[in-house]
Amino acid sequence: MALDDPNAQPSEPPRNPGRPDDPAFRDAVPLAGDQVLPCGRLLSQAWEQAQDGMPAADAHATSCPHCREAVEGLARLNVATRALRAKDPPGLRALADRVMSIVRAEVRLGRLLPLADTVLDLRIAESAAAKVMRQAADTVPGTRAATCRLAPAGEGTGVQVTMTLAAALDRPLPETVTQVRRSIIHAAGQALGMAVTTVDITVADVLEPFAPPAPAGSGPTTGGGA
Amino acid sequence: MEQPGLTQPEGDLPDGLLAARAAEGDDDAFAVLVRRHSRPLLGLAYYMLGSPQDAEEAVQDAFVSAWRRLPEYRQAAEFRTWMYRITVNRCLNMRHRRSPPLPLDAVAEPATGDEAGSPARAAEEDAEVAALTCALREMDTGLRICWILRELQGLPYKEIAQVTRASEPTVRGRLFRARRLLKEAMAPWR
Repeated sequence: MALDDPNAQPSEPPRNPGRPDDPAFRDAVPLAGDQVLPCGRLLSQAWEQAQDGMPAADAHATSCPHCREAVEGLARLNVATRALRAKDPPGLRALADRVMSIVRAEVRLGRLLPLADTVLDLRIAESAAAKVMRQAADTVPGTRAATCRLAPAGEGTGVQVTMTLAAALDRPLPETVTQVRRSIIHAAGQALGMAVTTVDITVADVLEPFAPPAPAGSGPTTGGGA
Repeated sequence: MEQPGLTQPEGDLPDGLLAARAAEGDDDAFAVLVRRHSRPLLGLAYYMLGSPQDAEEAVQDAFVSAWRRLPEYRQAAEFRTWMYRITVNRCLNMRHRRSPPLPLDAVAEPATGDEAGSPARAAEEDAEVAALTCALREMDTGLRICWILRELQGLPYKEIAQVTRASEPTVRGRLFRARRLLKEAMAPWR
């Protein structure tokens, strides 16, 4: 009621809104165009608390009729906002394909690297070989490759691999790294015919354990609670 | 040579890893990022520009620009934040280039309540969405960006501040003003 009555709006919000026994709101500064609710809280605070959870709703916010009325003023807007949020923007389906057709035409090959063939002088683009190396690293449980750079090692056909990866901490890292190295050397030889001489691996990040998406409707049926 | 059974899908990888791969020319990793972020970015551009064609062009340009700049992208910001920033800049440039007139079909009349069934309710909802869309377009760009990022895309204040290169108090103020204006614009549908 008071919200919709223009006469109820003070021309200037008081400097120190909120009640003295209301520490969470004692230091609140009114925003431009703000208004003070009859309970002493700011309209902006009531809205932020309800819409953004900032600060977390307290006993006052849940029980105060003025705060509740202020929040209810947004109900109509919220309904329309939810409906808008659910709508796909026009042209969404075709967008990713169009972007990727441009991107794939601008392929970045990187340097050319030798394959282990002493008769034919065969070479492969770094980006293509790196993709195979990353996939090889990804097959080791609990690891995901990030960067992967390749460089010729010396005069022959050997190649040096430098990789950073994210690894889960559910088993010793040296074990994981050894397995990744083995997987890379194997894939390079089998899939590419490339002689990898050294593999430098840096664990640059911790991989959080993968949680498979919960099936719909599987709420906390068992073991819920604190 | 192709052994798809051995490879794992990239769909579950975090943005940072995919961006690191894409920076080295891995277009498959970039494709995952494009699919993951297309919807919110296109939504932002659409409600910023008001025209589906302009929105598609803006987001397409933003992604292609990101692909070209990825080798220099040092992950100082989250990929999503970085991508939002490129898209916002692109939209602002396009708005300066032309100011499209409001399409008439976007302004729907409020439903007259002659039927109590769900078709009437659906029509009313369409009218409310149209009213909201219309009010959004008339709102100041700075307010509009903040409102879209918060209310349609659920970004936290801090990230909105990073995307719009404003302080968090500025973002709070803009969001409050945007909510007030939109609430008032929705009043006739009460």
